[in-house]
Amino acid sequence: MEEQVRSDKSGYMLMNKPGYPRVSSWPNLIWIIFLMMLFITIILWGVSFLAYAPLEEMAEWAKTPNPAKAPWYFIGLQELLVYFDPWIAGVMLPQQILIGLMLIPYVDVTPTEQGNYDFRKRRFAVGFFTVGISFWFLLIVVGQLLRGPSWQLYWPFIDYDIGSGTWVREGVHLKEGGAALKSLPLGTGLALIIGFATIGMVLPLIVTKLFPNSKKVKELDYYLKELGYIKYFVVQSHVMMMVGTFVKIILRLGFNVKYIIETPWFKI
Amino acid sequence: MEERQSKTPLKKILDFVGGLITGNPIYKSIFRVGYPNTLLKRMAVMRSSFYMHIFPTKVGEHGLKLRYSWCMGGITFFLFLLLSLTGILLMFYYVPEEHRAFSDMKDLRFMVPFGIILRNMHRWSAHAMVLCVMLHMMRVFYTGSYKMPRQLNWVVGVLLLLLTLMLSFTGYLLPWDQLGFWAVTVGTNMASATPLMGYEGPFHELLGVQIDNDIRFAIIGGTRIGANALVRAYVWHCVGLPLIATLLMVFHFWRIRKDGFSGPL
Repeated sequence: MEEQVRSDKSGYMLMNKPGYPRVSSWPNLIWIIFLMMLFITIILWGVSFLAYAPLEEMAEWAKTPNPAKAPWYFIGLQELLVYFDPWIAGVMLPQQILIGLMLIPYVDVTPTEQGNYDFRKRRFAVGFFTVGISFWFLLIVVGQLLRGPSWQLYWPFIDYDIGSGTWVREGVHLKEGGAALKSLPLGTGLALIIGFATIGMVLPLIVTKLFPNSKKVKELDYYLKELGYIKYFVVQSHVMMMVGTFVKIILRLGFNVKYIIETPWFKI
Repeated sequence: MEERQSKTPLKKILDFVGGLITGNPIYKSIFRVGYPNTLLKRMAVMRSSFYMHIFPTKVGEHGLKLRYSWCMGGITFFLFLLLSLTGILLMFYYVPEEHRAFSDMKDLRFMVPFGIILRNMHRWSAHAMVLCVMLHMMRVFYTGSYKMPRQLNWVVGVLLLLLTLMLSFTGYLLPWDQLGFWAVTVGTNMASATPLMGYEGPFHELLGVQIDNDIRFAIIGGTRIGANALVRAYVWHCVGLPLIATLLMVFHFWRIRKDGFSGPL
């Protein structure tokens, strides 16, 4: 495989080689495009007659709706505000998501695996991307459909007493639901974060040393060697950012932790 | 000779009328190739047409399969065109002024003939475009099409995703109703949390950043969403962002033409 990778790095593709099945764009490509344009236009035209674009009352600064929701494509980030301060949920995480997406082609180690839906040689890449995308859409679903007044969780199958608007879930008052959040002591928090970063960074390396004979681990070892130190650092820091987001959500939901690190200047 | 004699009168009339249409110099100056019934003519059609020449003359068969491409990139671009068209028409009826914008929306609903259809199409196309851009990105990732030699085009694609989100977000404020107003308030409040550059962000004191000189202030032109924010959203939505997006799209498509549709190596 290694040899193949080297010889194909010119980007010379099968489809450009003589003898590859090619057809004229007219009409083979054009009719697909034409039909798609018709199809999309008809669908949108039909939908526009049936479903009206929302229009609420005129904007008024003095009347804050509860909850005030971002558009659906940003609501995942708003949902993260439950677990993080805005400088992380609204600035650092989206920034890192965008940078991470843009870096994908430059940390890729299987340049020949393209042009099909065969994931066997790129399990890690596909897995990481799929988990990330699913997480993104999961947050959107939770934020859009399950969050109600005061950004509390409302299950669609429970009949809430909307009039009072103060019930988190059946029988639990809003004030009780949001109670008893505490931050970790600074030392514990620092130790936790440094430990998490260190273990996360070296864990894949340790695994390759501990089980050198397992077939899966050999795959991992090959992958790590192809990556090299710099690409490994880039990839692993993004993996850990995602895992860290999960961990913080679990700490918050399961252990009522508000901040892992709390300083006068910033809180994580 | 025999064939010519066996023509029915109807066929003769059709041939005569057809000859009048396709045989005259005006028609020939527009459609230069004639009916594309041979491979040579089919390729000439693609090359000699301004609109067609962004497509290749020949394509690999794998790239035509819908189960491969999902047609998502094309649909996204078509939605952009549809949004430009409906957007320009909406601009005829809409003034981005604090006290007028909302009543213009009501006029579109109740006074302008088919105004509500126009607005609905713009709205649903916008939502569809955001979704299609995401699906397009997923398709490109899962087929590994971002790899050599298309790395840069993937980066441009991510920028186009960001631009699509920003286009949609700036448009969200324009109806000047409670929904858009508070959504944009929530969204732009995030900017005030930017480290160093937002007045609620960590270490903002170091640069002397306050509510009236931070990055959020620069974005919305005030300390809260108001008339300035509305004009800014409007100008970015209708002029600035579409221009940048068009430029990047031109690059995106040019790069696809250079590299070919993605496919197996």
